[in-house]
Amino acid sequence: MDLSSFARSRPVDPETAGYLSRQIQEARSIYETLFPTQHLHFILRLGNDPVWSHPEVTEGPHVPRPADLGADFLGCLERPGTRADSPEVTIRLSIPRPPLPQETRQTSAPWRPPARLGFLFRASPMGYEGLRYQAEMLRRRRADRRKDKVALPLGGGSALIPRLEAPASGKRPAILIGMHWLEVGGAEKLGFDTVRWALAAGLRVFVVASVPAIQRLAQQLPDHPDVTFIRLDRYLPHLLWPRYVEKLALAQNIHAVHIHHCTPLYESLPILRARLPWIRTIDSTHIIEYANGGYPRISGVWTNYLDLQHVISRQLADYLQGSFQAPASRVRLGRMLDRGKIADRPPVLRMQSRQTSLHISFIGRLFYQKRPVVVVETLHALDVWAQKNGVALTASIVGEGPYEATIRRLLARHGLAGKVTQLPGDTDVPALLERSDILLLPSNNEGLALVCYEAIGHGCIPISTRVGAHGELLPSDLLVPLAPHATVRETSALIDRMWREPGFLARQKAGLEAAWMQLSADPTAEEVLTPIYRKIADQDRKG
Amino acid sequence: MGALNMTVAVIVTYNRSAKLMKVLDAIQAQTQRPDIVLVVDNASTDDTGALVKARAAGDDTIRHLRLPENVGGAGGFHAGMKAAYQMGGQYFWVSDDDAYPQPNAIERLHDALEQFQGENGYRPSFACSRVEWIDGTLCEMNCPRPVWDWARFIHPAKPWVLVDSCSFVSALIPRWAVSDHGLPIADYFIWFDDAEYTRRIARSYPGLFVPESVVVHDTPDNRGVNFGMMDQKSLWKFKYGARNETSWRRREMGLMGVLAYAYGVRRQMRGGNVPRHLRRQIYQAILQGFAFRPKILKP
Repeated sequence: MDLSSFARSRPVDPETAGYLSRQIQEARSIYETLFPTQHLHFILRLGNDPVWSHPEVTEGPHVPRPADLGADFLGCLERPGTRADSPEVTIRLSIPRPPLPQETRQTSAPWRPPARLGFLFRASPMGYEGLRYQAEMLRRRRADRRKDKVALPLGGGSALIPRLEAPASGKRPAILIGMHWLEVGGAEKLGFDTVRWALAAGLRVFVVASVPAIQRLAQQLPDHPDVTFIRLDRYLPHLLWPRYVEKLALAQNIHAVHIHHCTPLYESLPILRARLPWIRTIDSTHIIEYANGGYPRISGVWTNYLDLQHVISRQLADYLQGSFQAPASRVRLGRMLDRGKIADRPPVLRMQSRQTSLHISFIGRLFYQKRPVVVVETLHALDVWAQKNGVALTASIVGEGPYEATIRRLLARHGLAGKVTQLPGDTDVPALLERSDILLLPSNNEGLALVCYEAIGHGCIPISTRVGAHGELLPSDLLVPLAPHATVRETSALIDRMWREPGFLARQKAGLEAAWMQLSADPTAEEVLTPIYRKIADQDRKG
Repeated sequence: MGALNMTVAVIVTYNRSAKLMKVLDAIQAQTQRPDIVLVVDNASTDDTGALVKARAAGDDTIRHLRLPENVGGAGGFHAGMKAAYQMGGQYFWVSDDDAYPQPNAIERLHDALEQFQGENGYRPSFACSRVEWIDGTLCEMNCPRPVWDWARFIHPAKPWVLVDSCSFVSALIPRWAVSDHGLPIADYFIWFDDAEYTRRIARSYPGLFVPESVVVHDTPDNRGVNFGMMDQKSLWKFKYGARNETSWRRREMGLMGVLAYAYGVRRQMRGGNVPRHLRRQIYQAILQGFAFRPKILKP
């Protein structure tokens, strides 16, 4: 360094320079696809957000304002248009910074009760849970009265007007798979599976995610030249997604769009139906959630714009057909099971009446949806029961999330710290289930939790709240009420009854085995989707 | 991220023109000079204004921010950092008007922040120098406070200690810390403003003590901060200190934090045989601090 050089002239370290170059290239590539002929002005700033670039796009002449530049101004880039009088587009982006280690581990801040209810949670965690449950039930009752559960109409068009045909392309056919995000979750697992199945079917695969996030699992996408993850979640406002999808589809010979809980892709359906009607539109839904139904409701609203609605449970199929009058041929059940791992014989469930030790497990992300506080309170009640009956009770809680610290504190408060082990999300779940007698799943909401099926497969009896499609896998006696106090009370009573009454336990085992066999006979998601992917790939080859 | 490195030095001064000129000389001799040197003049009544203006006439990097009245060190750093933020600085090097940085002091702080993040991923909220007294010993009043795992990333070539508090004597603060956590509290007037501020920004991640970056603090004597050393002459400063720290403790730790602090102050005063009438005034300041709730302002 020369004497008396200024701080601002410090050379940029190679790692930072490389990172910025890659980010800028990703952003440029998106906008150059979206605006192939326009003259593009990029105004780049250094962002202090690890996930979102706060993009602003102005079409037409734009005179930069001070707010466009500011202290974090990095510089401007130009991409000339194809003609001298090409329209101008100005794109302002704040390049996201690399995530910090603590952000990579966990994006959600540790959970805390709302300030005014902190005293209630401290005094009585179950009192707080009860209040929250009541508030949610109130919201659901109100939502049930809403009239927005109607499928959007779509006419079939007239034969007088010729149907648009796919233009010829020198590229192999491709599929666009839209995910919510590339993080841990059941819907995301299916999303990753569909990427692999589409690739195996011979399609090129483009993956996008709708929610800006660190996308921790992006590296789990197949490392293959035919798989491309486009960071629309980071660089493109949702408003521009439909236009981008159209341009990408034409440029990359996309013949199918598969939506996994990806809202802006649903909003792209009208442009696909209007301008690219040859594209097959598929969605997969998992769980009726929130007060208004969540993604299945969105799917139902778009029923007429979709060629295939893949669901993972009969409950969802009934919901789409019952509430939105979706045709039966369009709604296809495909279980999230791996045919190769399905055993021919029903599993042997381990629990025996009057056994002297009991291991209970909970497996799930520590978010409110899974009600980890209710898990701890249930374990507390079971601990009291076990001491009375001379049973050595131990438990494992697997998962990470904002409730981690709360759970640790509650376990210590109930004197359970020595009996309950908290394990990270990457724990060997099959091995744990192999030594567990009971799996607790007191969720507020579920589709059909895969872990229930896995638990039975490994000889463990699941007990769940009466939510989602769990009735398709568990006998009625193993479903407990949703109200928090009732969940705790009924779960304890149920375990007590199975422990005391061999006949009752045998009936539950028989019921589980029967449901498990029936579920195993249903088609899997792979069996439903792969033929469609193959057909798309083959059609193009023939065409 | 080291893509933007514009650095603004913020020097708060009051009636110490001779020492201030030596500070400006030391900044000019830096191997990596700040892009702007902002002299925050707390309405000095000596020749500070004239001397700074004369310097600024021949050196574009020097800027003179004259405040209409003396708002104390806390008010000066608040005003200075606010102005420096608006000037677009990415880093703020804050220091006193009697602290002379050795030629590579600022460059070493920059190096430490950049290399630490590059190697460990974490983003330190500040970097501070080793502050020596004029005889080369450690300056007692400017010793940073380490965090419990202070040694986590230390190795022989990079002996950077994780700290959660330092004084405003050669501390380099990145822009994001100011954006996220706001400015120093002007209402403190003097004492504890630096400790409060660095502890506040260290909530994101601790700062770094960078021993290879050295400044010489030219104070009249080398004494630490201890209520046992209080006398009539220094009482006014200690009263501010007691009020400000009480206010901070109430905010961060509640009543028990204040009681623990009051107990510690009492022990120090008893140990130093501080006269009772002075002690009473300190207790009064602690009571005032309990009700003192200054606002934290964003730039």
